[in-house]
Amino acid sequence: MKKLGLAGLLIASLALSGCGSTGAGAGTGTTTNKEQKTVKVGIIDTYTGGAATYAKDALDGFKLAATETAEKGGPKIEFVTRDDEFKVDKATNWAKELVMRERVDILAGTINSAGSLAVSQYAKENKIPFIVWGGMSDKITGAAGHRYVFSTLPNTAVIGKAGAVQMSKLPYKKYWLAGSDYEYGHSVVNNFWANLEKMAPGVSKAGESWWRVGETDFTPYINKIRSTKPDALVVGTGGGDMVAFMKAITTTGLAKDIPVWVHTATDLSTLAPLGNEAPEGVMGTNPYFAYYPDTPENKAFVDAFKKAYNREPAAFAIYGYMSGKFLAQAIQKAGSMDKEKIVDALEGLSIDTPVGKATLRKEDHQVMLPMFYGTTAKVGGKMMAKDIVTLPAEQIIPSAAEVLKSREKK
Amino acid sequence: MDFATFASQFLIGLSRGMIFFIVSAGLTLVFGVLRVSNFAHGSLYMLGAFLAYTAILWLGQGEAGFWLALLIAPLAVAVIALVIERGLLRFIYKREHLMQMLLTYSLVLIFGDLVKMVWGSDYKSLPVPQALTGSFHFLEANLPVYNAFLLLIGPLVALGLWFFLFRTHLGKLCRATAADREMVDVLGQNSTWIFALVFALGGWLAGLGGALIAPTVNIAMGMDANIIIYAFLIVVVGGLGNVWGALISSLIMGVGESLGVLFIPDFAIILPYLIAGVLLIIRPSGLLRSAW
Amino acid sequence: MSCSYSTVRAEKRVQKRSLVLRLALIGLVLFFLILPSFLSPYALYLMATIFTTALLATSLNLVLGYGGLMHLHHAVFYGVGAYAVAILMTKTALPFWAAAIIAPFAAALVALLIGWFSVRLRGLYFGMLTLALGQLVWAIVYRWNALTGGDDGIHAIPVPEVLTSLNASYYLTLIVLVLSLLVLFAIVKSPFGLILTAARDNIPRTGSIGVNVKRHQLAAFVIAGFFAGIAGVLFIVIDRSVAPSLLYWNKSAEVLIMCLMGGMGTFLGPSLGAALLVLLSMVVGVYTEYWLLVLGLILLVLVLFLPQGILGFVSGKLKSASRKEVD
Repeated sequence: MKKLGLAGLLIASLALSGCGSTGAGAGTGTTTNKEQKTVKVGIIDTYTGGAATYAKDALDGFKLAATETAEKGGPKIEFVTRDDEFKVDKATNWAKELVMRERVDILAGTINSAGSLAVSQYAKENKIPFIVWGGMSDKITGAAGHRYVFSTLPNTAVIGKAGAVQMSKLPYKKYWLAGSDYEYGHSVVNNFWANLEKMAPGVSKAGESWWRVGETDFTPYINKIRSTKPDALVVGTGGGDMVAFMKAITTTGLAKDIPVWVHTATDLSTLAPLGNEAPEGVMGTNPYFAYYPDTPENKAFVDAFKKAYNREPAAFAIYGYMSGKFLAQAIQKAGSMDKEKIVDALEGLSIDTPVGKATLRKEDHQVMLPMFYGTTAKVGGKMMAKDIVTLPAEQIIPSAAEVLKSREKK
Repeated sequence: MDFATFASQFLIGLSRGMIFFIVSAGLTLVFGVLRVSNFAHGSLYMLGAFLAYTAILWLGQGEAGFWLALLIAPLAVAVIALVIERGLLRFIYKREHLMQMLLTYSLVLIFGDLVKMVWGSDYKSLPVPQALTGSFHFLEANLPVYNAFLLLIGPLVALGLWFFLFRTHLGKLCRATAADREMVDVLGQNSTWIFALVFALGGWLAGLGGALIAPTVNIAMGMDANIIIYAFLIVVVGGLGNVWGALISSLIMGVGESLGVLFIPDFAIILPYLIAGVLLIIRPSGLLRSAW
Repeated sequence: MSCSYSTVRAEKRVQKRSLVLRLALIGLVLFFLILPSFLSPYALYLMATIFTTALLATSLNLVLGYGGLMHLHHAVFYGVGAYAVAILMTKTALPFWAAAIIAPFAAALVALLIGWFSVRLRGLYFGMLTLALGQLVWAIVYRWNALTGGDDGIHAIPVPEVLTSLNASYYLTLIVLVLSLLVLFAIVKSPFGLILTAARDNIPRTGSIGVNVKRHQLAAFVIAGFFAGIAGVLFIVIDRSVAPSLLYWNKSAEVLIMCLMGGMGTFLGPSLGAALLVLLSMVVGVYTEYWLLVLGLILLVLVLFLPQGILGFVSGKLKSASRKEVD
């Protein structure tokens, strides 16, 4: 009968998908295979759509770390990648596939915060270490944090606080807050404002503007902000909107009238596509520059990255790179491929990175990294950050006690 | 809220509506004549932006580069559209709307990934041509010259379309085909080539919109999804197939969003759907008479 | 359009063969009941996802295939069902079962609102209004951070652990799917369903015999929304995460493709399409990040060469074969 044919078709496809094997209870629980010398990482990230450029940078950084580790005789890091298309259900699908079918030891990814949170929940339930190198929501290691999730990039709480530290040194009083109308934008701006109010009493909020993600014309927003004449404008936006917004600053000459702060204004991902169209005088924090800090470690990383990929590394490259390095060192420290031991080793682990020492804070697993702030300027015919000041990690990360308190609320 | 802010915001809204119009005019023409709801219209818009980017890479960033790119990119998109029509669409004109729509949706998926293969996932940006950089003073506001340029181009396109549709033989045939295809066939005119022509024209308009928006935005994957829903809303609100309806609803949408920034700043995401939903509930078959 | 929709006459012929068909179906259900002991955990999870998606696709087909309405944004009701459970369980003290019962009604309510305005319109206008209003719901979910968690979504939804094991969620989704399909099938075969189909094929004539077509279409729309809401609940049981991408318009397009692939004119076609599409996406995605390109090509081929869908094609062949036998 055709119905049975249908069922046969289903079974055939299931077998094709490689899941016909009947290994009971596989994938869950810890694999303590003594023979195993390689660690397998399952990467879920957004390789389709507007955010793919970041996923590519992170992946290339991670690959570089894996190669370098292997060359130095460290643990062998294997990996597979899956595209979540910026969809949360896809991210969960892949997390389950990677763990149950592909039998990965470690999960890593994704630029989509919702996806990161969904994968994180699965990682928690199944005790799989999950390294977040893309999702910036402060919930990941904050309210939704747990033993198995680690974040190797500054989250929105860190970004907002770093901005507040930078701006609190300046004399502005009346602020306008704006951004892309999604979680990242709101979270950066809220964290910024909460911290600034503490650090610089007497500041006041003139108003807020929010535009949709993918906005094509910022003129109405800029016109309105201008008409209210605030002392300074703080913006929480990212991805493609970042490029478009910077462009709008140039065409409207906004930064000449009103000082603007945007996180990653000085990042290569923002400035490279803009070329000469980048506005001068925009303030911003950024965790990484290929030209700063001017240390042998950073030079070596930039050279290696350029050699491998024929381009300069941007901030996300360093997140992927650090993730690989953290993992390799944790395995060496643990002296085992046991997931629990790797998690133990990752907790509080410090490594040397191109930007100096980086630590996965023991209490909440959020990476402690210095942040650099500067102003966009043309230096030697090229747009880059000028007057760079280093903010030490301790100054910009919310205290562990604060973070742990947010977890208790649940 | 002073008058100057309001007036400048209104003007910005108009220029915003112009891009909407250029893109949705193409979509509504195709709707009207071919009776196909072309989901791939957003992809053609995206291709217009990417092709303009590539054209300028080849031509150099000089003053002439931009204008040549503005000429070449939409034409290239029109050719792509022609190939789509001759190669695929013409085989399914007799099918239900849903099938035609799904066919164009398959092109959305295909073009989305092709763009990634050809141009990669890095962000790209085009400089605004020298003559159109900077801003000008209007009342108390500083408005970008480029917005003024769009304010000029939009009416020009509308005028050109009017001339084509109402003053040329070909245009009259297009309108006749929209009204009654069989009659046109009976009269011995070859309506299939009119279909091809209109689809190419629609593609040209989409490409023009993409090329025009390119200097002001980040050129990347995902541009297609952003515009297509807008274009659909505008076309349906305007009255399917009615170019002037599309013009009116484009301007309503542009001005509505721009003024929304002043009065309901928290509603930017919701506003376009709200405007379209309310207008459709009030006038279910569009603002102006549908061509159908 | 008899090529893509089975006609009422054909359905009668199917009834003649109903005994064989019923036996086959019961066999199929039994088969699925014992299947888990042969499946890996991952395959179990995939099957549960397939069952959920199959319900979603079948619910759309009530409106699309049987009602002939160009419903372009069905994922909204799926998303509303999922969000209703998520919000009720995280913001109130309601137990899971209560939330799971309320959720489909929430989806049906949203369907009533959207349908109320949409069924007044015909053809593409109907489709476009469902799209516009559906996207409005998406935008509200995306924007209403305090209630929905914005684009970060809601995670770690505390579904009782008895339901969330792979085996339990397999059986739960299977049972709910089978029961829902039975109800939907009864609806399709009921006088109500026949009027719906008749209206699809000829609105003026159906209207002229004194039937309020719009009201029937609205009812079908609400029923479809209700069952999509149930699918949304099942999604929560399996994944326990929800985010706005679940009710973005491209999700609805995916469901449309499932119906097309399996066959809109058949009752089980959408389920088959759902199964194939879920499996394909999970297989192809392992090898390439160009899954959407593959999907586009599949869709292109389907539209051009197999518009009646796989099951529609097969049953068409069977019918012509049996006709030959009779001759």
